[in-house]
Amino acid sequence: MENLNNYKLGIDVGGTFTDFFLVSDKGMTYMHKTLSTPEDPSIGFIRGINDLASKLNLPPDFLFEHIDTIVHGTTVATNALLTKNGANTALITTKGFRDALEMRRGIREEQYNNRYQNIAPLVIRKNRFTIDERVDAQGKIIQTVSVDELNTLVDILKERNIESVAVCFMNSYLNPDNEKLVTGYLRDKLPHCFITGSYEVLPSVRFYERVSTTVINAYIGIVVPEYLNALTQKLKKHHFKGRLLIMQSNGGVVTPEEACNIPAVTVLSGPAAAPVGAAYFAGLLGFENCITMDMGGTSFDASLVANGQCITSTDGAINQYRVALPTLDIVTIGAGGGSIGWLDSGGLLQMGPQSAGAKPGPVCYNLGGQQAACTDADLQLGYLNPDFFAGGTMKLDAAKTKNAIHEKLGVPLKLSNIKVASGMYKIINMNMAQGVRQVSVERGYDPREFLMIVAGGAGAIHAGEICRELEIPMFIVPDVGPIFCAAAMLLGDLKHDYVRSYMTVFNDIDKKYFLQLFEEMMQRGKTTLIQEGIKEENIEFTPILDLRYQGQYHEVSVEIPLEVILNFQLHLVSDLFHTEHNRLFGYSLEKEATPLEIINLRLRAIGITDKPESISANTSINTKTLDPAVALKNYREVYIPESDNIQKIPVYDGDALPGVCTIKGPAIIEQVNTSVFLGSSYNCQSGNYAALIVYDKEKFPDGISGNAYDELMKVHEKEEA
Amino acid sequence: MQKVDQILVSIFQRSFKAITDEMSISLTKTTRSPILCEAKDFVTGLYDEKGQILEQKENLPILSFSLGPVCKMLIEKYADNIYPGDVIIHNDVFSLGNQNNDVAIFKPIFFEDTLIGWSAAKGHQADIGGAVQGGYNPNATEIWEEALRIPAVKIYEKGELRKDVWDLIFANIRLSMVQEDIKAQIGACSLGERRLEKVVEKYGIDSYRTHKQALFDATEKMMRAEIRTIPNGVYEGESMVYYDGKHVGSTFPIKNHITVNDEDIVFDFSKSSPQTNGFVNGTYTSSCSAITLTFLQMVDPNIPHNEGMVKPLEYIVPEGTILNASYPAATTFGNHLCPQIADSIFKALGPAIPKRVTAGWNHLLCSLFTGMHPLKDQKYVDICFLGMKGGSGALHGVDGYDHIGMIDASGGVLDQDYEMYEQQTPHRIIKHEYLPDSAGAGQWRGGLGVETEIMLGADHTKMVVFGDGDKQGAYGLFGGKGSILNKIELNYPDGQQLIPMSKDIIDDIPQGTIYHQIAGGGGGLGNPLNRPLELVIKEFENGIISKKEAEKNYGLIFYQNSSIPDIEKSKKFRNTQNRKA
Repeated sequence: MENLNNYKLGIDVGGTFTDFFLVSDKGMTYMHKTLSTPEDPSIGFIRGINDLASKLNLPPDFLFEHIDTIVHGTTVATNALLTKNGANTALITTKGFRDALEMRRGIREEQYNNRYQNIAPLVIRKNRFTIDERVDAQGKIIQTVSVDELNTLVDILKERNIESVAVCFMNSYLNPDNEKLVTGYLRDKLPHCFITGSYEVLPSVRFYERVSTTVINAYIGIVVPEYLNALTQKLKKHHFKGRLLIMQSNGGVVTPEEACNIPAVTVLSGPAAAPVGAAYFAGLLGFENCITMDMGGTSFDASLVANGQCITSTDGAINQYRVALPTLDIVTIGAGGGSIGWLDSGGLLQMGPQSAGAKPGPVCYNLGGQQAACTDADLQLGYLNPDFFAGGTMKLDAAKTKNAIHEKLGVPLKLSNIKVASGMYKIINMNMAQGVRQVSVERGYDPREFLMIVAGGAGAIHAGEICRELEIPMFIVPDVGPIFCAAAMLLGDLKHDYVRSYMTVFNDIDKKYFLQLFEEMMQRGKTTLIQEGIKEENIEFTPILDLRYQGQYHEVSVEIPLEVILNFQLHLVSDLFHTEHNRLFGYSLEKEATPLEIINLRLRAIGITDKPESISANTSINTKTLDPAVALKNYREVYIPESDNIQKIPVYDGDALPGVCTIKGPAIIEQVNTSVFLGSSYNCQSGNYAALIVYDKEKFPDGISGNAYDELMKVHEKEEA
Repeated sequence: MQKVDQILVSIFQRSFKAITDEMSISLTKTTRSPILCEAKDFVTGLYDEKGQILEQKENLPILSFSLGPVCKMLIEKYADNIYPGDVIIHNDVFSLGNQNNDVAIFKPIFFEDTLIGWSAAKGHQADIGGAVQGGYNPNATEIWEEALRIPAVKIYEKGELRKDVWDLIFANIRLSMVQEDIKAQIGACSLGERRLEKVVEKYGIDSYRTHKQALFDATEKMMRAEIRTIPNGVYEGESMVYYDGKHVGSTFPIKNHITVNDEDIVFDFSKSSPQTNGFVNGTYTSSCSAITLTFLQMVDPNIPHNEGMVKPLEYIVPEGTILNASYPAATTFGNHLCPQIADSIFKALGPAIPKRVTAGWNHLLCSLFTGMHPLKDQKYVDICFLGMKGGSGALHGVDGYDHIGMIDASGGVLDQDYEMYEQQTPHRIIKHEYLPDSAGAGQWRGGLGVETEIMLGADHTKMVVFGDGDKQGAYGLFGGKGSILNKIELNYPDGQQLIPMSKDIIDDIPQGTIYHQIAGGGGGLGNPLNRPLELVIKEFENGIISKKEAEKNYGLIFYQNSSIPDIEKSKKFRNTQNRKA
């Protein structure tokens, strides 16, 4: 058989579906979805590749042989943490600090709720051990480790069948010698255990953050390597000879070997690809700033890209367990197609966060769901076609939906079904808009300057109203929207984050030591990336400094050009910090000459990977406009939020649109995996940039003939004036 | 009047909440004093044109419920003299402030020349003048020995800074950081102002007026429905405050009678002790806040926090009592009478709603260190939050919360991070762990307290102690046991030991002194012999309870000379003991 194609494959394993995106080196793309197999995700993984092979009429092993890269987003770590199904873990810490992990600094998230209980720690108190050792606040060892004490401890760990051990000592970020000694000793004596020291995971100041992150690393230190090893074996059996790369929480990728060393980097592996893909699509339209919203069944993820860069933060948590590794800043809120509508005791309508999930699901799924969910409201309002859900593969029961909305909500509220459903629609949109506000306004960004990118099956019905709430004048629905993360994974570079704490006032920085710390991190990054098969010329470094004004408590992370660091141009660093502080908080203390303090030095080492030229079938720009009438399916009664009434509006077949055309709102565009609703304030342009571009018709009266970005900025400037 | 749209009511409520949350985040990120940005000792709020609460973000509840009354006072005081761009500052406890250190900023909000509301932010300042840095002065008998009084005064008028007023205020405050923190509060209020204007612009002023009223009505309905679940009657409760900082052995009872009549509830504290001549005195609004926050812990936690929520609550706290001291009494300790107020309310309502009241919470005992950091050659002020946080009382069906801290904050105030603490102060933490057996035993045990040891790393350290709970522990309920006492002791390098009073100032503490603190746990609820055996064994294995405690209170029997529980024997023993009872 003559087939000269080679392929790259993105695979995103989610809770319900596993998504596939295959692209050939000739630029052909294929999307696929299969049900996930949570008991062993690799089953769905392999099955999906076989499915793709049969779609392409290829022998399965032939396809395996011709895939040069697989990028994989996995929820193995996430699920182990959510279901508390990780290793039998022990923690060894400094004498006097046994309980920091469980105390969580004494927070109770719900202050008026005396029934609220603290989350159970990942390591029970019995397995939290302390040893007599100490490093002081200047990094001096004032108590060395006793080997006798360690030996006693090793015996207990063996007796308790401990599988994984986290070691985290006070002030080890200043001097890791005691911690190194103990981890080394344990590796020696407990060869079958996963041993991890905080100096390897997160050598930066703040004990609670460090102990929590190190424990998470230990807790998933068995399941993640087991899964990745099994997967690698299976792929080998199918004659896969290419590279397997794993998506990390920081938006980069990593080899399975590295992921096995620090499994905690995969904690948010799945959703991390979304902002990476968003940056790509925004780039096609000439944007450097965009927000992604991904609305699934139970949750809504929002993230932001500014100046072409995904925003990372170290404030993350999963299931309330604190992970302080650099993680893409993704806000997740409990809002999705399954979010349930209910009345509180004052009779006010609320939506979620409780979700009907996939089972029993919304009432219209007819799988036993009794409470009207967001999808039911969408159906009641005419946005969904009961006969064309998931391309017609699943029939929705409109009668059951009507009944549930009426009985559970309409009767007590004394309101019509349309009034109730439109209320559900508005409230959930409001909740999601608040999620978007969290990643934008609360981080000092004005959402009106951003392009909204809509992913996930349910998103495009709600995007218009979310954008109106936030005054975002334009959103796009990419063609790969329904499997957005799987496609976006192919765009990730290898990324490794390093950190060293160095706390001092700016004027006292020891140049030699400062540069030495960066040099160490650069060496480590380089060695790791070269081991991962990256050529030296494809390695880049991004330094980041955590800085604050003297006297402040919270620091601000500022990205600094490498040459500024290497040339030790501190005045340029100051300028960058003042600017960033001003952007975040609306003022800087440049004029007051308040001294700066440095807290942490960070380095991101990036290995540029070989990427497909495009992750979309159609990125060319056409200018000839055609009439969309050929794709008109019918008319249907739909709720129009702008005028708060029901109107009969056209429904188009999104898969039959004839190249470039403009569709005027109000209208519905139905595609196999998603439905797009245009309210009366929107028009939509199809056929360009591999996406439907939806824009506010008042703000863009002439459409978006030119560069969409320039058009948006013009609108924004007009409003500012 | 517009017709009420139920859906819009929900939308307005969500909008108000989003705004106060956002104000709170802004304040966390921009303030400097760790009391604000780490411990979150502040509150943000939105009020309507009449000073009624639209929504509040109550990081520290005890501060929260005085903003509404002050806002109403401002509206009356300034009447026709309120303009866009005005900023008003206030802390005065004799015009409805709750504590001198808790300084509030108010900003009026206009829509097309009509006053539509107010945004406010109040925070605990690191210093507010007076005789002692940090504000807690156990020797004070009059307000001027405690703080600078700021009755409402405009620091901006029509957008113009009144620099003379600003300078006058800050000339009386020790730390320049406080100016920066006040600026951050003004920033948060401006944010709230902009956001509320947007909401009103979007929905129209008539719709705003109609729907906020409908929101108040709906919330009031929820609150009244909660009150209806309490059987009608008059209930009485009592608790005790120990030592006023002046008279060794002095005690001051807090007494209430609470009348529930269908959907009305009256909290009458008239029979409480007269005011003291020390600083252990409440202010009207701090006492009302304490009553409110305690009651809120017994109702649905999802009730929106607006005017409708507080409307059904009636307070009688007469002037001249320890809970509402007359001018010019010293009152800085007033916020910390909250544990005693809470105890008295839980005790009163216990017989009526036994499944909704907790056993006693640990009472705050706290210390504040000031001195010089020798390596940095800088002054520092540090409230020892990590040492003071004891356990909460158990509730029917739920153990108390471990290491939550005073009920005034209910888990809103956090420990310092250990490593940051060792950078910012010269001290070294030796121990900070749950203290085994510190909680009251019970079918549901109290929350655990903690033990703290710190080695002081500089000479001439000054320590202010304020609090209670060293004479009486948290009480048990319905067969549950009480908890251990709070304790602070200083062990000097020369071998001497000093145990400070619960309100005290200790000067000139030398380097190398070990500060040792015990924050007690909460009280237990229900007979400890009914606590599931497997849970008792688990907690024994986890070192939460000792062998002695397991034997004495929980009826756990061990094989002879071992630490291995004899499950069969224990079961039998617990059964016979229970039958006897």
